Formats: sequence, structure tokens, C-alpha cells
Amino acid sequence: MLAGHPNLNTLEQASSAYMPGAKGAHHALNVDGVSKAFFHRRRETRVLDNVSLTVEPQEFVSIVGPSGCGKSTLFHIIGGLELPDAGTVNMGGKNVTGQRGEISYMPQQPALFPWRTIEDNVLLAGELKGEPKAEARAAARHWLDKVGLGGFERAYPHMLSGGMQQRAAFLRALLAPQELMLLDEPFSALDALTREQMQRWLLELWEENRRSVLFITHNIEEALLLSSRIYVFSGRPGSVLHIVDVPFPRPRRGELTDSLEFLQLRRELSEWMREEQARTTR
Amino acid sequence: MRSYWNQIWPPLVAVIFFLGVWQLAVSVLHVPSWMLPSPGDIARESRGNASGIWAHTAATLRLTLIGFPIGTGVGLIVALLLHLVPWLKRALYPLLILSQNVPSIALGPLLIIWFGFGLLPKIVLITLVCFFPVAVAAMGGLAQSDRIMMNYMKMAGASKWQIFSKLELPGSLPALFSGLKISATYAVMGAVVAEWIGADKGIGYYMLLQKASYRTDRMFVAIVIIVLLSLVLFALIALLEKWLVRWKPRKTS
Repeated sequence: MLAGHPNLNTLEQASSAYMPGAKGAHHALNVDGVSKAFFHRRRETRVLDNVSLTVEPQEFVSIVGPSGCGKSTLFHIIGGLELPDAGTVNMGGKNVTGQRGEISYMPQQPALFPWRTIEDNVLLAGELKGEPKAEARAAARHWLDKVGLGGFERAYPHMLSGGMQQRAAFLRALLAPQELMLLDEPFSALDALTREQMQRWLLELWEENRRSVLFITHNIEEALLLSSRIYVFSGRPGSVLHIVDVPFPRPRRGELTDSLEFLQLRRELSEWMREEQARTTR
Repeated sequence: MRSYWNQIWPPLVAVIFFLGVWQLAVSVLHVPSWMLPSPGDIARESRGNASGIWAHTAATLRLTLIGFPIGTGVGLIVALLLHLVPWLKRALYPLLILSQNVPSIALGPLLIIWFGFGLLPKIVLITLVCFFPVAVAAMGGLAQSDRIMMNYMKMAGASKWQIFSKLELPGSLPALFSGLKISATYAVMGAVVAEWIGADKGIGYYMLLQKASYRTDRMFVAIVIIVLLSLVLFALIALLEKWLVRWKPRKTS
């Protein structure tokens, strides 16, 4: 799937170990050859074309791509909201295509339930799975303190700023019993300054508590800072154009974004994205 | 407290001004009191005949307080049923809208033929006028859940019941309460109309008696009482709403 593009670089070759189909220990997530088309007034729109990707346990993986590359559709398929026309979704060695409740999800908007207090919002995912409340409540208190939401346990979402709401939404995903977290452009609705703050906050938090994460973003810098691996998607129909292994060692710091190596990698990815955007809008 | 007062005084001044114009017009133009009594006459009459009208008020209040919960209860059950069974909604919702073209008041005489002169036809009439605003408001509220929250619930593996009880139902409360407030005023009106059609006590019955003897002033007293009953019921619902929907951000004007 990498063939046909002139910009193949060494990073991509190094990533061949992650190519789908590689056998080994169970992947946290393995999307295998997923395609999807929608029909509208008898016209077929192909949205995803033979997409394969993997997330290993405790790995942070990002998807970047031009708008309309089918990222949201892919999330819906992984989340079980829609069925792929072809291909499978596997988690922990099990085929879970079309099954709901296997992932922990953080949407673009915080989508906190306005009638629940912050604490009850954070506990929602466990509650849906029928987990005992008392322990979860203690854990939630601990975490709310930790992410700077201490004292807001009994507050309603509308009393919080956008960044705080997003942190609460992240905590709701983090405290969910499912292993794999899907983060769908979680910072896109925030202003630039808050966004940068939230990226560093997420980086620190994730390095402390490694979970398997699949992260969608338009923001290349964000993807490079946070991920171990980046899948660059093509425009519609979305397919995997490049796989980039991000070489920076962990723990990473926010200052990383100023380093020469980072800037070079960023420029390269931006170039691909620009070309792709130009190709699809032509 | 100050902002509360700022909200209260403009309508208060308007009402006092209106009553003043009324009083002035009646005395300057020499309108006979059987045609239009002055506000002063009405106030005097309400003090003078207080004991007689209280029994009638109590009867109407009782009728309203029986009919309103039954009417809204039926409305809620209809809404839940149609919401949970989509094909039933498709089949019945248009008929429900159509049925509102039948004026409920016109059904009164029929109800009396079918159910006699007792409590039952009156309750049925109140139910008929009350259930519709509640049913439509509740159905609207249940159907318009936030799409992202709905996606979240589905991806998290929520069951149909969990989606209903944790997302759709609480989300529909603001809409439901606007329906309830309309129904509350309809309930008082329904009770009075039911008493016009066939009763031996109640504000509606009292109005018929006074009409027969051209006591316009007493009819106005009855109207004031009807307005007050509606307002009190409305305020009770509004209070309940304030408590149940306390999570909603207050509108800043």
C-alpha cells in the first residue's frame, strides 16, 4: 500500500514489522483490510479503501489525513456503529467487527451529559458496564484531583471552561473499563493556546499511565509529539498512504517541538498532506 | 433581589395602568354596571360574597387536581409508548395531530350522554385537553437527543434501556416541562368548561347562575379566580421544573 508514492523514506521501511498480518502476541487493535462505501441516490461514494492498521498494547498511535479521508467512518466501524463492506476489526485476538462496547471513546466535542455532575459523568462508562460504584467513585475523586478538577466533583458541565470539560471527557474515557481508547480530534474545538496546553497535559498523563490509544487529528505537530506511530491517510477514498515511526525517545517533553529533527519530520509530513489535499480537491 | 424587582415592576405598572383606564372609562362614559362593572365594583363584590364562591372554587380546584394528573399521565404514557415503538408512532402520530382539530369542548355534550352527569365525563374532558401538549412535547424531547452523546452511548455498549433512562429521558425534561405548563392552564379551563356542560357546583356552574341574573360583576370575580387558579398551578409546575432541571445553564440576557 506504500507503493506508488515517490517520498518513501527509511522510517517507513523500519515500520514494516507493524504491517498487518504479522503474527505475534495479540494486538490491542488490528484493523484488517477494511473498505466502506455509502450509497446516496444510487451513487456510490467510496469512503475507505482497504485500510489496515494496528495498535499494540500500551501504544499511542495517530491517524492524520486531509479532511474527508474517512477517519470518522473508520472510528464508527471500530466502535461497532457501522459494519465494513469488507475486512475485519480485531481486538485482543478476537474478531469484534460490528460489536459495540469494546472501546472507550472520546468524541470531538466533550459531550458531557449536562444533567450529570462532573463526577457522575466521569463514572458513566463504568456504570454502563455495571461496575460497582463505590470503588469507582473513590478512583474518580483521585483522578479529578490529579487533572486539576478537584472541587468540581459536584459541578455541572456548563460551569466549566472548554479545556476543563475536555479534561473531564478525557477522564471519562480513561476510567472506562475498556483497554483501547479512541480519541477523535479531541482538541479541535479548543483555542490554540488551550490546545497546546492540553497536548502537553495529555503527553504527561499518557506517559505515566500507558494505555492503548488510537488518536485522530488534523494537527501534525500534535501527532508527532504524542505518538509512537503515525498513519498518514490519503484523501477520499481513505487509505493508508504512509506509516511513520516517530523516533523520539520517551519520556518526551514539550520542548521537543523546537528540535531540528522534529521540525524536519513535521515539514515532511506537512508536504505529504499538502500534496494529498491538492490531489483530492483538484 | 434587585434584578427580581426589575423584572416585576414593568408588568405590574402596566396592569395598574390598565385597571386605572378601565375604572376611569366606566365612570366617565357611564357604562351600566350590568354591562361592564368597574374594577372597584368587582373588588367590592369579591369581598362581599366571599363565602358563597369559596365552595365553588374548592369544587373546581378538586376537579382540576384530579383531572390534571390523569391527563398528563395519559399524555406521558402515550409519548413513551410511541417513542419506544417506532412503527406505532408512524401509524398514530398523524392521527394524534388530526384529532386536535376536534374541539374538545364540542365533545362535552357527547361525553355526558355516554358517561352521565357525574365526575367521569368531566375527568375525560380534562384528560382530552391536557394530554396532547404533554404527549407532543415529551415525544419531541425524547426524539431530539444529542447525536454525539447518542454515538458515545452506543460505542460504550449501552443497552436500549440505558440509552433511554440515562440519555433520552433526562434530555427530554426541559421540553416536557414546557408541555406541562401549557397543560396546567388547559386543565383549569377544561374543568370550568366541564362544569358549564353539566354540574351542580363549581366556578363554571357559578358563572352560569350569575349569567342568568345579569350579575356581570360576579362573573368577573369568577374570571379572576380562574386566572389565579391557573397561575398557581403554573407556578407549582415552574418550581418543580426549576428543581428537576437545575443542571441547565441560566439564560443570561
